Amino acid sequence: MAKSKISVTQEFLKGLWNENPILRMVLGICPTLAVTTSAINGVTMGLAVIFTLVMSSFIISLLRKLIPNEVRIATFIIIIATFVTVADRVLAAFYPEMSKALGPFVPLIVVNCIVFARQEAFASKNPVGRSVVDALGMSVGFTLVLLVMGSLRELIGNGTIFSHQIMPMSFQPWMAIALQPGAFLTLGLLIGFANWLNTKGKKK
Amino acid sequence: MNLILIFISAAIINNYVLVSFLGICPFIGVSKKLGSAVSMGMATTFVMTITAALAWLLNKYILVGLHLEFLQIVSFILVIASVVQLVEMFIKKVSQPLYEALGIFLPLITTNCAILGLALFLVMKQYNFIESIFFGFGSGVGFTLALIIMAGIREELELADVPEPFKGAPITLIVASCLALAFMGFSGII
Amino acid sequence: MNKSLKLVVVLTVTALFSGIILAVLNAYTAPRIELNANKTLSEAIGYVIPGQKTCDVKVIKDVTFYIGKDDKGQVIGVAFVAEGDGFQSRLRILVGMDPEMTKIVQMKILSQAETPGLGTKIENDPTNKTDAFWFLKQFVDLSAVSPISVVKGQTADKSKSQIQAITGATISSRAVVDIVNAAIEKNRALYLEKVK
Repeated sequence: MAKSKISVTQEFLKGLWNENPILRMVLGICPTLAVTTSAINGVTMGLAVIFTLVMSSFIISLLRKLIPNEVRIATFIIIIATFVTVADRVLAAFYPEMSKALGPFVPLIVVNCIVFARQEAFASKNPVGRSVVDALGMSVGFTLVLLVMGSLRELIGNGTIFSHQIMPMSFQPWMAIALQPGAFLTLGLLIGFANWLNTKGKKK
Repeated sequence: MNLILIFISAAIINNYVLVSFLGICPFIGVSKKLGSAVSMGMATTFVMTITAALAWLLNKYILVGLHLEFLQIVSFILVIASVVQLVEMFIKKVSQPLYEALGIFLPLITTNCAILGLALFLVMKQYNFIESIFFGFGSGVGFTLALIIMAGIREELELADVPEPFKGAPITLIVASCLALAFMGFSGII
Repeated sequence: MNKSLKLVVVLTVTALFSGIILAVLNAYTAPRIELNANKTLSEAIGYVIPGQKTCDVKVIKDVTFYIGKDDKGQVIGVAFVAEGDGFQSRLRILVGMDPEMTKIVQMKILSQAETPGLGTKIENDPTNKTDAFWFLKQFVDLSAVSPISVVKGQTADKSKSQIQAITGATISSRAVVDIVNAAIEKNRALYLEKVK
């Protein structure tokens, strides 16, 4: 991808819908399935990704002219891994319960296709300001999907959202949605729904 | 006996893809054809077994031994990237036909959660050296199993009338949910 | 600058910076992480050995025993960590027993990441209006002379060392019992042999 020419606002918004990493580009699926058992878990993972992606894009874009092509992958990996470790350790120090709930999926952000793809496709070729906006758009788009999925699965599986009781007490939760099959099903339906919305919009 | 249990657990009961949620990207991306699914599975199993051994050694003697646990993520991912690179070069030299079959999948393996997830899991579960190798091999087999089943189904799905918005990733995920449901039947066996 | 040299320099500098940032991070967060772990543990020990004033830590063959003593120095309880695989996560349970290790006094779950709303009921069951902590309460004053067993669907007979499983979370319930049984059997031999 060459240097980006669209407006800055469009740069941000594309990550939210048109090029939403989960719904349209089908990237970063592992954590999406694993941590969306509740809304708060999904949002926390999203925040960790926002931090990692924005910081990594910032640094890599800043240093893009200094990094030789041959070692760019190794350098990207080291930089991304550093920020992921920061996110993981800070979480373990200040929010130990959340750290345990998210498990190995925070360290796994380092191989999250979204992060690496943005460095390769964008941050290494565009100025700092734009790269940060791109990173923000992509990671916020990712977080929004995690929020929706987490809320849906928590609501139907437990009757709550963010631990607040929403469904009436007589509601019999559908356990399976909080388990593995439910994760696959919810995401499949969400992506299908997003595709449908997209084609509907195009037809107008 | 314990080693067999670890193997079966990783391969079937806590199936690497359908239960532990690792290796989903290649699961969706490479499961269209049975042939490529088998190749990807074999390449991944090979890399997983080697990585399990190396990750354990790295963790015990350098990370824990020198109190450098905070370098875990960085060192693991660098080791994995190097291993995959070396494996690719090795296969290319040793067997050209094997390289043609497996080679292209190897770079895909580095940047997916399957291998790093393996390294992190075996440290978390505190397996010893032999247990780690069995875990690595079992995870690879579980991954291959899930991939092969999915590829078999998808080849049939090509002939079915899937609604347009659901073609590709969505229908694959919905099929995966049925597979995950089936595999849940295995839980509690050990 | 010579190309190869440049590659090496860039990589080394990046690695150095990464190392420095992480080392600083570690210095800042490691103490807190350890504090979190310790605080949880010492609070839990006080909970599973009620009435203890001091606590000795004794390690016998890679098992750590927490020996609770009252203000007169008499041993009033022994605690240890029982660990194993639950349904989908590693379970760590602190088990408090009497000095002869014949019965469980109290138990506390140190860490679990079971299925929310199902397996998590082993620690906290909001759907039980009488007592959300009913599952663990079954282990209070439970005789451990013979292995504890799990019953489903019927009332558990405490005199026979039975506890009732959580509906819809049988695997998590069974895991707790299996882990605790295994730990008691292993640790009882170790402890009584060394102390007597």
